[in-house]
Amino acid sequence: MSDFAQTLITAIAIGSLYALIALGYTMVYGILKFINFAHSDIVVLGAWSSYTLASRILPKLGLNPHNPESVPPIWVAAVVLLAAMVFCGAVGFTIERLAYRPLRRAPRLNVLITAIGVSLLLQNVGQLDYVFGASPQKMPPLLPSWELASFTFGEGETARRLVIGLVDVVIFATATSLMLMMQYLVFHTKLGVAMRAVSFNTDTAALMGIPVDRVVSFTFVLGSTLAAAAGFLYVMKYPGMNQPAHTIWVLLGLKAFVAAVIGGIGNVRGAVLGGFVIAFVEQFGAFYISTNYRDVYVFTLLIVILLVKPSGLLGSPLREKV
Amino acid sequence: MVGTVSLSTKNREQKSELRTGNALLGLLPIAAGLGIATLMHFFLPGLIGQFYARIVTDIGITIVLAVSLNIVNGMTGQFSIGHAGFMTLGGYTAATITYYGSMFLWDSAGKHGGFLGSGEWLFIASCVAGGLFAAFAGYIVGLPSLRLRGDYLAIVTLGFGEIVRVILQQTGKTIDDVEDFKNAGWAQLIPPPVGGAVGFDGVPKYTNLFWVYAVLTITIVVAYRLKGSSLGRAMISVREDEIAAQAMGVNISRQKVLAFVMAAFFAGVAGGLFAHERGVIISPKDAGFQRSFDYVIMTVLGGRGSITGVTLAAVLLTALPEMLRDFEQYRLIVYALLLIFMMLVRPQGLLGIHEIWNFWQRPKSSVKSASPEAQV
Amino acid sequence: MSPPATTSSAVQSADALLDVDQIGISFGGLKAVQNFSLKLPRSGLFGLIGPNGAGKTTVFNLLTGVYRPDCGQIRLGSTQLGRGKPHEITAAGIARTFQNIRLFPNLTVLDNVRLAGQLRNSRGLLDTVLRTRGYHQEENGLREKALNLLEIFELQDRAEELASNLSYGHQRKLEIIRALATDPKVLLLDEPAAGLNPQEKRMLAHSIQQIRDRFQVAVLLIEHDMPLVMEICERIVVLDHGVTICEGVPSEIQNDPRVIAAYLGGGLEEN
Repeated sequence: MSDFAQTLITAIAIGSLYALIALGYTMVYGILKFINFAHSDIVVLGAWSSYTLASRILPKLGLNPHNPESVPPIWVAAVVLLAAMVFCGAVGFTIERLAYRPLRRAPRLNVLITAIGVSLLLQNVGQLDYVFGASPQKMPPLLPSWELASFTFGEGETARRLVIGLVDVVIFATATSLMLMMQYLVFHTKLGVAMRAVSFNTDTAALMGIPVDRVVSFTFVLGSTLAAAAGFLYVMKYPGMNQPAHTIWVLLGLKAFVAAVIGGIGNVRGAVLGGFVIAFVEQFGAFYISTNYRDVYVFTLLIVILLVKPSGLLGSPLREKV
Repeated sequence: MVGTVSLSTKNREQKSELRTGNALLGLLPIAAGLGIATLMHFFLPGLIGQFYARIVTDIGITIVLAVSLNIVNGMTGQFSIGHAGFMTLGGYTAATITYYGSMFLWDSAGKHGGFLGSGEWLFIASCVAGGLFAAFAGYIVGLPSLRLRGDYLAIVTLGFGEIVRVILQQTGKTIDDVEDFKNAGWAQLIPPPVGGAVGFDGVPKYTNLFWVYAVLTITIVVAYRLKGSSLGRAMISVREDEIAAQAMGVNISRQKVLAFVMAAFFAGVAGGLFAHERGVIISPKDAGFQRSFDYVIMTVLGGRGSITGVTLAAVLLTALPEMLRDFEQYRLIVYALLLIFMMLVRPQGLLGIHEIWNFWQRPKSSVKSASPEAQV
Repeated sequence: MSPPATTSSAVQSADALLDVDQIGISFGGLKAVQNFSLKLPRSGLFGLIGPNGAGKTTVFNLLTGVYRPDCGQIRLGSTQLGRGKPHEITAAGIARTFQNIRLFPNLTVLDNVRLAGQLRNSRGLLDTVLRTRGYHQEENGLREKALNLLEIFELQDRAEELASNLSYGHQRKLEIIRALATDPKVLLLDEPAAGLNPQEKRMLAHSIQQIRDRFQVAVLLIEHDMPLVMEICERIVVLDHGVTICEGVPSEIQNDPRVIAAYLGGGLEEN
């Protein structure tokens, strides 16, 4: 029972991260109809820039970034998060401007290849010695390691403890509030209407006087800031950070993309749903079957969904796309 | 516009030279390739030294992989980024057969026999078996391509490579003692113990210049003949316009699956060569997307559909990093910039869909220049 | 040429080559085509007209298997086509051209035609790779056939050029040649006159009749150019909002108030 509950808590926390990342994939796909392969690298950038910033700030406050006991005041976490989001937003803007915009009318395959190129570029520039380096690092703690709630099941030898950590709650709360802001933005603002219009038909939207280029730029900035937040939250949960080109990051991005596809690509709510579905499949599969194959479950699910219902769970011919 | 259709009811006099051939003549280029491979095998290491001979071997294997990927990505216009998955699957299959097969036959996993000796025949047969197994996987992976558009397919193939990697990581330690192997029950041998995450060590190192360039010859001849044939045209029509291709009677599902199966077969054979290469320990991470990207880059750079272009790109991108060892840190950065730059400036690749000699055959507007498919 | 003045039953003989019975399709809630029926006789030349968005091209897509009809039957000769895949339908004998030209731009003119001619090619991978005698015979045959067709349409000099390098008019012509190369029994032409000048249109009208006679095909023609349709078609079907509103010989169509209403009095005034 407690194992089940513990897995559930992890799945919810991780699911909200997948959902955050999936939103970026789904928005770009909705508008420009290509898989932004470099999106996962923005997550990495978010994580590593958070690390770089935190390990610069903490010593200034007289704290040792390598000491897990020293926890800075809460505003430090907020500043690092915001800074990472702003930085990644700027990078996302630049990438769209330089690499994707000139290909607006090019075949989709060409844009996909460019995206792979951008992804490789970000990964390998990040690995340079004078950028982030090619060795793993440990993220300094920015949140106290409080246990908000703790339950004990059973007695004696078989006793199991169920812990709800502050980290899980912060992840879920931050991710959820960001997603709610997204929802509001997409469905209740003029900008959101413009995004949906561009997604529905770029040419018609342009004829209606919608500044397509600005909307696309904005979409990239928005997606990238969400990705940065996801990267930051991810290393809060798992402080052992792999080097930027490590497979684990690409897999993180891929799973989020799979989440977007499963939910119905182009569909904002679908991406959120897909994020949780993926996390549940992965976490419970790992728990009940075998941890070793956790990546296999996700891809198997993807292939099944694509063959059975290629438009995804919430996708339909007349879906609300962004 | 349609001109006067009432024209020439007379039969055209046969102005194009008719090409008759027989299978024997058709084998000529393969024989020539085998001759060159034999010469390379015996004389090249003496001429350029072991270090460079090793690079030439690597280049040969890489060309096989890039040219075969080009059948799917270039000719048929699908987008596979899991080619290394097929390669690794074939490599492991072949290595398992030679490693345990040698123990079974000759009581040792070491090399057996000399040039064209029994050991080498086991080796090449195992490579073909690896190719067939990879081809079977290609069939399975090709099936979703019938229903998926380009970029979704990319994700599925990428996922395939990752699944191969994860599964291979879970395999057991290799059995390196002959007695243990002979006493082992089926439970220990299925699934085959091929070394898990650390890779498959101890595979006999049979790969040499002769076999690599023999396989290369066959790959290129097949790819080239395919390109100029009805089958190849049907594949290219799928790339050009699926709807129109169907309307012209092309069974696009069959063409896509055929392309996948062929590409996977050659990738599997190349994997066999790779697994048996001196200085290589094939490992699960070879199935990962990083290696697949290398081959994708070669097809994009060389020209999607151009066999010579892709060969050229494979040679350059394999040789250059070897020559410039210090360059390693920047290798992928340069590749990435090349990809982006090519898409912006010359998306069709260096040679586009042309072969290198097409550039001397211009102008092409005259009918006299006969058929573009010269005989290989 | 003047259309036969007889009415309906004479042409709608039971042995129609292409017999379309009550097919329909809807997308979401939109009924794109409803209860469409047509009996096209051997060597018939029929027109399919209607305002933009009436569902004409959808009918072509249903006939060629691009869309699967929700209901109804399609019979060609003695074969039931119903739910066949597009390439199977092409092999059965229905060929088409596209409204927005869909050539294979990076293939040569010759290859475009050869590709269409090869659908009954029996040579497999092994023959192809080994270049057997049978392979060479078949490829030579294809090449001859393609060149013959190009010669008939006076495009043989452009055989080695890329299809994308042809002029617009030639591209339209190549589309027709390519469709004919599949040896069709029925040829569906989707707005072949679009973008042509008056003189080209006149030649096209002449050509379509000649194609019908020379290649022994039945032709179904979608066209907006009313004089052209009225001149060459024996019978005309008028679609509006996916529904057949009228069918008959050109003189009947021209005077039918429903047709005039559908076009809001426009489109036909050139007559």
